[in-house]
Amino acid sequence: MGISFGSIKGWKGKAMAKGGGGLLLVALCALPVAAQEDPPDAEALLERFDQMYESTGTSARIEIEITRPNKTRTMRMRTWSQGEDKALIVIDAPARDAGTATLKVGRNLWNYLPKISRTIRVPPALMLGSWMGSDLTNDDLVRESSYAEDYSAELVGPSEDPPGWLVAIEAKPGVPGLWEKVEIVFSQKERLPVLGRYYDRKGRLGRTMRMEGIEEVGDRFIATRIIVEPEREEGKRTVLTYLHVEFDVELDESLFSLAQLERRR
Amino acid sequence: MANSTFRIAWRNLGRNRKRSALACAAIGLGQFAFLATAAIMHGYADHYFDSITGPLVGHVQILAPDWREERAVDLTLKDVDAMLAAIRRTPAVVQAAPRLYAPVLAALEEEGFMGVVVGADPAIEGSASGLLGDEALAGLLGDGKVLVGRGLARRHGIETGMELAVIGQDIDGSIASELFEVAAVARSPVDIVNSTGIVATLTDARTLLRMGDEAHEIVVHLQDAEQVGGAVAGLGAAPELAGAEIKPWKEVVPQLAGIVELMNVYTLVILGIVFLASAAGIANTMLMSTFERRRELGMLLALGSTPGRLFKVVATEAVFLGLLGVGVGTGLGVLFAALTAGTGFDFAELGGQESFEVGFQGIQVASRVYPELHGRDVLAGIAAVLVTAFAACVWPMVHIARLEPVEAMRE
Repeated sequence: MGISFGSIKGWKGKAMAKGGGGLLLVALCALPVAAQEDPPDAEALLERFDQMYESTGTSARIEIEITRPNKTRTMRMRTWSQGEDKALIVIDAPARDAGTATLKVGRNLWNYLPKISRTIRVPPALMLGSWMGSDLTNDDLVRESSYAEDYSAELVGPSEDPPGWLVAIEAKPGVPGLWEKVEIVFSQKERLPVLGRYYDRKGRLGRTMRMEGIEEVGDRFIATRIIVEPEREEGKRTVLTYLHVEFDVELDESLFSLAQLERRR
Repeated sequence: MANSTFRIAWRNLGRNRKRSALACAAIGLGQFAFLATAAIMHGYADHYFDSITGPLVGHVQILAPDWREERAVDLTLKDVDAMLAAIRRTPAVVQAAPRLYAPVLAALEEEGFMGVVVGADPAIEGSASGLLGDEALAGLLGDGKVLVGRGLARRHGIETGMELAVIGQDIDGSIASELFEVAAVARSPVDIVNSTGIVATLTDARTLLRMGDEAHEIVVHLQDAEQVGGAVAGLGAAPELAGAEIKPWKEVVPQLAGIVELMNVYTLVILGIVFLASAAGIANTMLMSTFERRRELGMLLALGSTPGRLFKVVATEAVFLGLLGVGVGTGLGVLFAALTAGTGFDFAELGGQESFEVGFQGIQVASRVYPELHGRDVLAGIAAVLVTAFAACVWPMVHIARLEPVEAMRE
């Protein structure tokens, strides 16, 4: 779902074809250390990333802490998502933002504003703008489903800081977007993503994303805390913490509709 | 004796009238080109200067620290009323306009588009140097009523009476949302307001952004642009403005200030060309006439004329030639300025195209210019030609000084 913005959805098909399934990946974690040091396959690692949040239906409660040079703001929200294309985020706190919602269907985003009872679609020109004042962009919420089409992946080699394997995914020529290249470091042992470095179109590091607090939720391991820090903007940071998350829950299709969005006050 | 020097010099000019007329024409053309270019440049520079220091930038700006670089909604000036009182007390200040800017997502129905809510004081912005430049328009603002820039309105089909939803971020970073009524579609003298502006009263904008007595900038207009330095010093001494950035217009828009400077340099280049054209014309004429008169000059020296007397004759001749040329050129230049100053001079129409006026980075660029002739340019042209005339005499004088009377008379 949208809020799992770090995941690189869409790699599944390719990685599965190479003989990987959920069980195999879980089994990988239990392999002896010697076997772990063999260079992994880039797509298998990205598939591992996908595994973190992939679900037919996800329900979560999330806290987002937005730090600015002279203040910190905390929002709490509930989120629901279905597959990769549909997601709904409803803000619960602070009280004055309560009820404000974001609906994602495919590459479209709508914001619902309870104070004025209006639903407004975010125009393409604003996709790279900040989502709810955080260091995440609107594009982060909708972009993931097209990484496989728009980017090509390559295993760069071992990473020293943090230790693990470095995979670089690069935008294919002519693909618009904010990021030219994303470097992802996967941990040596669990082979879970721990760090993402996002490079802009000028090849400059634009932001880093750290994934921490790996916890077992149901049949999977997920990062429960994601820290996004923009470069060259001192004092700015967004920390996203999963307070509660359930995977593979059954969600009503009608949850992801504009009518529902407006009824949901 | 002086009288006879003038007479001889004048007569000498008449010896070869064609040559003297050609030299005069070259100098005249140079002076005319210089005056016409300078007048057009002054016209442009004034136009640029007015549009730069006009409604958007002003002569001096009071800004919240870092606001100019970051444009973050929460970087505001506090206690704006006290600041305004202090600014208005400062000598030479004519007007002080507090403003707020907030990028927003706006929508009539479901489709959102980008806009900028500009919070402004209608009583000030309705004046000629205000963002709206129209008191009647400014009077429509207030109680949730806003004006929408013409370009923004045209792109999104916004009309008077429509309800406009806006979402942005308030000063705390929370979501700000409001419904406004479109009081009118406005044509602002400021390009950025036309293309993206949703102009609201300062009060309505502050309510939207949950702000108190705050603003992002205060745009100050002075009686005269020459008073910027003094005004900046005066404002800097006011305790109410401590901590705020006080920027003269040149620091706010250095690239535009550079354009104005460049125009002055361009005028100087043209003056240099006039200088060279005059020098070539006068030097050539004087050299030719001196060489032609070797025999006569030799005889005058033999009869007892001093070389100094002959120098005077040659120099007077050169000055006459220069003054004649510069007189003709000045006449033409003044005529050009007089004919075009009122109606303007349109480059686009000259090229058979339609007249235009476009905004670029907040300033207006027009194809029509109103030339403005300055007395100091006429004087600069005359001075340049006179200096050239004397300089052009040096070679003929050296020639005379070396003249052997007997040898010269034999030729």
